[in-house]
Amino acid sequence: MMCAFFNTVCADPLKFLGNWFVVLPAIVLLLAAGASVVARNLIHAALFLTLSFIALGVVFIALGAEFVGLVQLLVYVGAVAMVIVFAILLTHPAQLEKSRTPFSGLGPAGGAAVGFAVLAVLLAFIFASPLGKKPLPPSAAAPVAAIGEALMGDYVVALIALGVLLTAALVGAAVLAMDDKKP
Amino acid sequence: MMDLLEGAPIQLQAWFLGLLRSFGTPEWILAVLSALIIIGTIIGVFLVLFALTSVLERKILARAQNRYGPNRVGPFGLFQPVADGIKMITKEDLVPRTADKVVHFLAPVVMLIPALLVLAILPYGRGMVPAEMDSGILFFFAVGAGTEVAVFMAGWASNNKYSVLGAMRAIAQMISYELPLVISAIITAMVAGSLSPSAIVAAQGGFAFGFVPQWFVLTPWGFTAGLVFYIAALAEANRSPFDLPEGESELVAGHLTEYSGFKYATFFMAEYIGMFAICGMFVTLFLGGWQAPVPALTIIPSWCWFLGKICFVAFTMVWVRATLPRLRIDHMLAFAWKFLLPMGFAAFLSAACWHYAGRGPAAWILSLAIIGIPYLLLGNSFTNRFAVSRRTYQFSE
Repeated sequence: MMCAFFNTVCADPLKFLGNWFVVLPAIVLLLAAGASVVARNLIHAALFLTLSFIALGVVFIALGAEFVGLVQLLVYVGAVAMVIVFAILLTHPAQLEKSRTPFSGLGPAGGAAVGFAVLAVLLAFIFASPLGKKPLPPSAAAPVAAIGEALMGDYVVALIALGVLLTAALVGAAVLAMDDKKP
Repeated sequence: MMDLLEGAPIQLQAWFLGLLRSFGTPEWILAVLSALIIIGTIIGVFLVLFALTSVLERKILARAQNRYGPNRVGPFGLFQPVADGIKMITKEDLVPRTADKVVHFLAPVVMLIPALLVLAILPYGRGMVPAEMDSGILFFFAVGAGTEVAVFMAGWASNNKYSVLGAMRAIAQMISYELPLVISAIITAMVAGSLSPSAIVAAQGGFAFGFVPQWFVLTPWGFTAGLVFYIAALAEANRSPFDLPEGESELVAGHLTEYSGFKYATFFMAEYIGMFAICGMFVTLFLGGWQAPVPALTIIPSWCWFLGKICFVAFTMVWVRATLPRLRIDHMLAFAWKFLLPMGFAAFLSAACWHYAGRGPAAWILSLAIIGIPYLLLGNSFTNRFAVSRRTYQFSE
């Protein structure tokens, strides 16, 4: 048993490792995501979340989705993680106690329920999608040029709509940050 | 002879692997070794460059300020990095009692990883790219984003108000200057039609009229985008005049305040290697990568050209440091958002028009106009706001 395993490893270790390049970051991803939920220290939770973003990017790249993985790193590690950290640093602990949303009374059980509800919706859509039912195209890794042409061709309306949404969010943030006008 | 030198690094590696293969080494060991040889060579070259720069920078600064600079250790003070290294390693490693020990320890490591990783996608010579990637430019910026996390970790884990303030400043600066940096890089990708660095270098090959290199920096949009990239690169690398995250007079040393000994040296090394990486990116995107400037000089191996250009760009960065004073934080952020970013967009538009107008003389005039008008408008709005009037002294006369 052990010897057969050893032989498969030695026959072609790079191919054997090929699977582990996906599995290991996936394990890191799950551990980091779990740790960010249970961490007592908010900054530690944010750093664990950043680690899970990085691990997710590595999983994408190991699966051959190079472009998606790199955009994941650029957007989530470069921007989203920093926004989370800034939000934590700029919030005074006393404000956290005062700010009660309509969902604050639900407690951990309510949070878990909301989480599982989101998961159920996502799973329903994943199982309803044609992914995995059709045979995959011969090359799973789409070249960047093909992705760019698809975004600028078939999906250009969605792309522009997202751009408008992000611009609106940016303008909204600027309005919130502006000084109040003197009455 | 020159052909021999051109392929020398690759030939040497192939010869060494062939030698091992003749001893009957298994294929997978050879595959791992061939990767390790490339990694080792790159890290070795950049560590030597770092050591040389740490002394040469002080020499150049000294020359600019009319003094000698380090000249005690070895000939012309060239062994100064060895002395500095011994000092750094033997220094006490202080960790504040209230620091977050684990994060404090991890920050320099996290800082060094992206600096080394981005070296993988630079084309060092003809056919010499360690990791040929379809989206190499994207990789450079995506991995480079890790630096911000490291700076934040260093600042927050030190549990020192100067550290946190310095880290906040550094992150605000990096995020602000990342936009013009990425936009000016995207322009070259757009004109070359590829995100792969080697394709961008290839698009700058050849000579117009037989002697003018077709580097992007020699077109109106390329010159603008190149300048925007260079200025943003100075800010990303925390170089003077944008080194205010560690402004000594107000923040002690910013996020580096509570670091000493080898951890400080690691930060220092990561910053310098990051500087070389971004110089390499600048050379790749705008200065024609490993291409020679005139046809007669193509006999010099391509990797020599690349290293030479990197050293030249790094030299200009030291020169800028010797020349310009440090900016104030609000001026610096306003400059990024109100000048560099619009100029980046102008260059973007200009490059698109240049491409679709046929890249001929008419295209040149069109793209010059698209660059020139926003430049004059923006420049005027800046100079009017910071108008320099004759200084009058109330009690001097």
